[in-house]
Amino acid sequence: MFRFIHSSDLHLGKRFGQFTGDLPGRLREARHGVIGRLAQHAREHGADTILLAGDTFDTETPAPDVRRQALAAMRDHAPVRWVVLPGNHDSLQAAQLWAMLKAEAPENVILATEPVALPLSPQVALLPAPCTTRRPGRDMSEWMDGATTPEGTLRLGLAHGAIRDFSEEGATSDVIAPDRAARAGLDYLALGDWHGALVVDPRTRYSGTPEPDRFKHRRPGEALLVSIAGRSALPEVSALATASFDWQILDLQLLDGDDPVQVLEALLPESRRRETLLQLVATGRSRLPGRTAMTEAAARSAPDFAFLELDDSGLTTECEAGDLDLIDRAGALREAAAALLAEAESERHSAGEREIARAALARLFSYAQAVTP
Amino acid sequence: MKISALRLFNVKRFAGRGVAIEGIGDGVNVLCAANEFGKSTSFEALHTLFFQPYSGKSGAVRNLRPYSGGNPLVEADISHGDDRLRITKQYYGGGYARVTDLATGRLVAQADEAENFISALIKGGPAGPAGLLWVRQGVTGIDKRSNAEEDGEKQVRASLLESVQGEVEAITGGRRMAEIIQAVAGELDKVVTKRGPKAGGRYAAAIEARDRLAADEKRLAADVAALRDALDERTSTQKRLAELDGADERQERQRAAAEAQAAFEAAQAQGEKLKAAEAELKLARERRDGAEGALDAFRTTSQNAKALAARLIEGERRRDEAVGRRREAGELIARVQAAADQADMQEQEARTLLARLDAALRAREAAERLAESNRRLNEAEARRQALEETEAQLALVKIPPGAIEELQALEVELSGLRAVAEAARPSVAVAYAKDAQGEVTMDGAPLADGRERSYDGQAQLVVPGIGVISLRSNKKPSGDTRLEQVEERQRRLLGSMGVETLAEARERQVRAQEIDAEIRELRGSLSSLAPAGLARLREDAAAQALAGADVSGPEGDPAELRAALTQAERHRSETRHALREAEPARGRAEDAVVAAEISLATMRTEQAHVEAQLGPEDQRGAREQALSTELAERLSQFSEADARVAELRASGVDLASAEAALKRARSVQSGAEQQIVALREIVAGLNAEIRARSDEAVEESWRETAEALSAAELRVAAFEREVAVLQRLSLALDDARSEARELYLKPVMAELRPLLGLLFDDVSVTFDERTLLPQTISRNGQEEDVERLSGGMREQLSVLTRLAFARLLARDGRPAPVILDDALVYSDDDRIEKMFDALHRQSREQQIIVFSCRQRAFQKLGGNALAMVDWQP
Repeated sequence: MFRFIHSSDLHLGKRFGQFTGDLPGRLREARHGVIGRLAQHAREHGADTILLAGDTFDTETPAPDVRRQALAAMRDHAPVRWVVLPGNHDSLQAAQLWAMLKAEAPENVILATEPVALPLSPQVALLPAPCTTRRPGRDMSEWMDGATTPEGTLRLGLAHGAIRDFSEEGATSDVIAPDRAARAGLDYLALGDWHGALVVDPRTRYSGTPEPDRFKHRRPGEALLVSIAGRSALPEVSALATASFDWQILDLQLLDGDDPVQVLEALLPESRRRETLLQLVATGRSRLPGRTAMTEAAARSAPDFAFLELDDSGLTTECEAGDLDLIDRAGALREAAAALLAEAESERHSAGEREIARAALARLFSYAQAVTP
Repeated sequence: MKISALRLFNVKRFAGRGVAIEGIGDGVNVLCAANEFGKSTSFEALHTLFFQPYSGKSGAVRNLRPYSGGNPLVEADISHGDDRLRITKQYYGGGYARVTDLATGRLVAQADEAENFISALIKGGPAGPAGLLWVRQGVTGIDKRSNAEEDGEKQVRASLLESVQGEVEAITGGRRMAEIIQAVAGELDKVVTKRGPKAGGRYAAAIEARDRLAADEKRLAADVAALRDALDERTSTQKRLAELDGADERQERQRAAAEAQAAFEAAQAQGEKLKAAEAELKLARERRDGAEGALDAFRTTSQNAKALAARLIEGERRRDEAVGRRREAGELIARVQAAADQADMQEQEARTLLARLDAALRAREAAERLAESNRRLNEAEARRQALEETEAQLALVKIPPGAIEELQALEVELSGLRAVAEAARPSVAVAYAKDAQGEVTMDGAPLADGRERSYDGQAQLVVPGIGVISLRSNKKPSGDTRLEQVEERQRRLLGSMGVETLAEARERQVRAQEIDAEIRELRGSLSSLAPAGLARLREDAAAQALAGADVSGPEGDPAELRAALTQAERHRSETRHALREAEPARGRAEDAVVAAEISLATMRTEQAHVEAQLGPEDQRGAREQALSTELAERLSQFSEADARVAELRASGVDLASAEAALKRARSVQSGAEQQIVALREIVAGLNAEIRARSDEAVEESWRETAEALSAAELRVAAFEREVAVLQRLSLALDDARSEARELYLKPVMAELRPLLGLLFDDVSVTFDERTLLPQTISRNGQEEDVERLSGGMREQLSVLTRLAFARLLARDGRPAPVILDDALVYSDDDRIEKMFDALHRQSREQQIIVFSCRQRAFQKLGGNALAMVDWQP
């Protein structure tokens, strides 16, 4: 019975320049914190090895403090063993990085920088497929097919890259064969690159990143605890929660008649708001007042969260005479509102113009509400 | 409201007086009067009554006061609805305002209440807006006026339109609209200006941040690329280094170098041998050439010696000839020289003799000249003395000019005077009897018969025979002294001339003239003797005396002597020519001697040289034999050496190519070493660069910047959209408000259109939304600002606009008078008539009061003629 933790894509040192304030710092710190949380899980579940399937570092030249502190943290968690595989972000082309790591790595950190079988224990051999360059242009795991290991030892594959023509970074040609585990007789193939956990087959999995870094995958950050009873036994895999920040995309689907504020407030998570980054995607139809109220409600709630943005570009505004009455029943204001509405619904105008007109109408509505009648 | 009467007292020019305009009725009322009649005063008083509070002291009120001071009083009777009221105001001292009901005499209001009442009449109040529509002389209502006045009228117009059309607020959106527009403008203003993003605004900041991030991102991307390039380069460099530095490669390079070295050394050894043989060959060749040369030289020299001996003999002969010629030339020259010297001496002698002769001649001439000068000098001096004497004589006899004439005149005058005196004197005459004896004497002088004699004072007649008769004239001598004066003058004149009588004077004059002639002659002869004066003559003589030298000297004929001299000169010049001809010949002869001597010396030196070369005459044959033997020996040595060299050359290896091969092998080796060093250096440099960039975490910065850039781009896009939205909203609001205003102004336009039609063809007017007055006018499709129209058109438009508002008021059941004070000053006759038509057309429902000074023009207006009458309150 061999038990280990499979994780990948720690992207240590990522800076999150798109955010402002202290959020980038917190997010960056959270990534470093993953090391501790993984080690904690390992201790708790009796796993002595943590496989990191590439992209441990966000860049080929991480700042010295990022590198040194990561190694120090790993050392602190000895005797847990860390196996670090070069990914596309920290490929072997970053010779400097790997030379430094080699020089500085503590005993419990194994650098899987060569495609040779690595005995993790007398019964377990690890076949790593390190990324030699940022875009190797070939399947680095191919060598595993011909790799020989002593009879009866577990064969674990460790690789980084896409298995289909999807990748975390667009189309690539260096696609790992999806059936590599079967072809190379692997008991388990630990993959990295895809930031959401993904099961390719019973023996092939992406662990996803333990600490999400974008609104893309609708999964929380997790790592995989893998136990293999022996040769040819199917691995038992369970997910471990590792994330300190939640990156959530919330779909705000509105129907005409729904109160968008109610729907919004029902959707917002109650707890851990400070550690939550939210992207509210409003779709469907709404009336002018509801839309204005929803925008205001989102703005009201935003300070609770680490980050909150409302994308209402997919929301269609329904407008009726009654809504225009709220602006003014007659007179020039009403005429202006009617003109904007007509333009927003006119087929003669471009989508952009209609969108602008619609937004102008919404703005007029909110101004009209703000000035006392 | 209608006005029925206006009265004023103590207003402006009506100091201490009052005037009244009574009987102002409906329709058109005209007060037409000449200037200075008080029209404008009336108008101003009316205006002040309605618009200035009684307690006020504004410019308009001050204006109303006469120069002499006092308290202006204005009163108007009006009908308002069914009420007939009288409004009275007094300004300054004892100022008051009062409204009384004319029907009942009841005081309706006074003081501030009265003011409120009046202001309600004009501006509105419970019964709605009413007012007076004024047009002043020159003031078209379009020009600038005081704000209060402007606002007042505007309020009237606005309130009227509101009452007709509804609340302006309701139509234009009013305050809410304004606030929203302001809010939109405020929002826009925060981020953009008319020209683009507002500097310092959030939008501009976002753009700036984006641009800055884009630049940073580009720079960092370049850094990252550079880092990656460095990494790649280091990898390839290290690979190349490993290849070069490998043990096999190294050995191979060494082996090649050693082989090349051996080959080179072998080639070098053979090369040495060849070099030695070639040196021998060279020596043999030199020796052979030397022997050949020696033999040739010996033979040539022998021949030269023979030729030289012949030339030497010839040279000696030529030298002797030249010496002979030189001697002859010397002799010739000595002869010619002697002849020349002789000729010189002769010529000199002749010349001296001639000179002495000349000098003697000149001395004789000078002595002659001196004698002549002395003679003339003596003569001249004698003449001068005579002249001086004669002049002295003349001075004695000279009579002043005119003296003779004066004397003559005096003589005549004296005769006259004497005659007169004679005539006056008593006289005696004796007439002798025939027989009378003797003769009577008077004062001793006999008296002749019949002859009258006069006497002075007394006279004694001796009458012979009788006695002495004393005659006494007791008449006092007359006071006439002229005779004595004349006589005295004559006496003095004669005295001054030193003569006794006139005759004597005449004689003297003749004598003086003779002496004068003599003087003139003497002067003439003196000046011919000494034309330049006596002094000069004396100087000349003295000079000549000094020059006078020894006159002694040789005698002889100068002509002869001169011919001898000429002869001597010619002879001398001939001998000189001969000498000049002879001298070059001697020079040439000397040169020839020198040349012959030099040539001879050269040949002798040559002969000595040749003989030294050849040696003693008797051994010469043996020497030639020895030289030819040596040459034969050297020739055989040379051909031996030549054969040896040819042999060595044929069997030789090319040293140059062996050396090149060695060089190449060595350069391969050293190049490889150098390359290894260079590559190591490159790697070291790259290491440093990579380490530095790694430590800077440039890639992390790049990713961070790229993320920040995309966020900034979104932000800028959001701002762009925000601006577009706000601008669209702003546009929509402005459009809506403009349209609403047009709608709002519709009623007044409806009233104005027919009035405009009376005056102009095809004209339409747009109103300013703010002032509610005409702003632009369009004619024939051309739009013009009202301010740019002619004065006439402006005033017409102004009157028509007021008429339109007045009509609107009347329609609304609140008629108000239109008051025009010389409002049509610029209009031409045609237009004025049309305006009159317009006024009459309006006057059916309207009171119109016209003040004008243009009596003739306004006669045609018709209507109710008003007059001003005296009035006392």
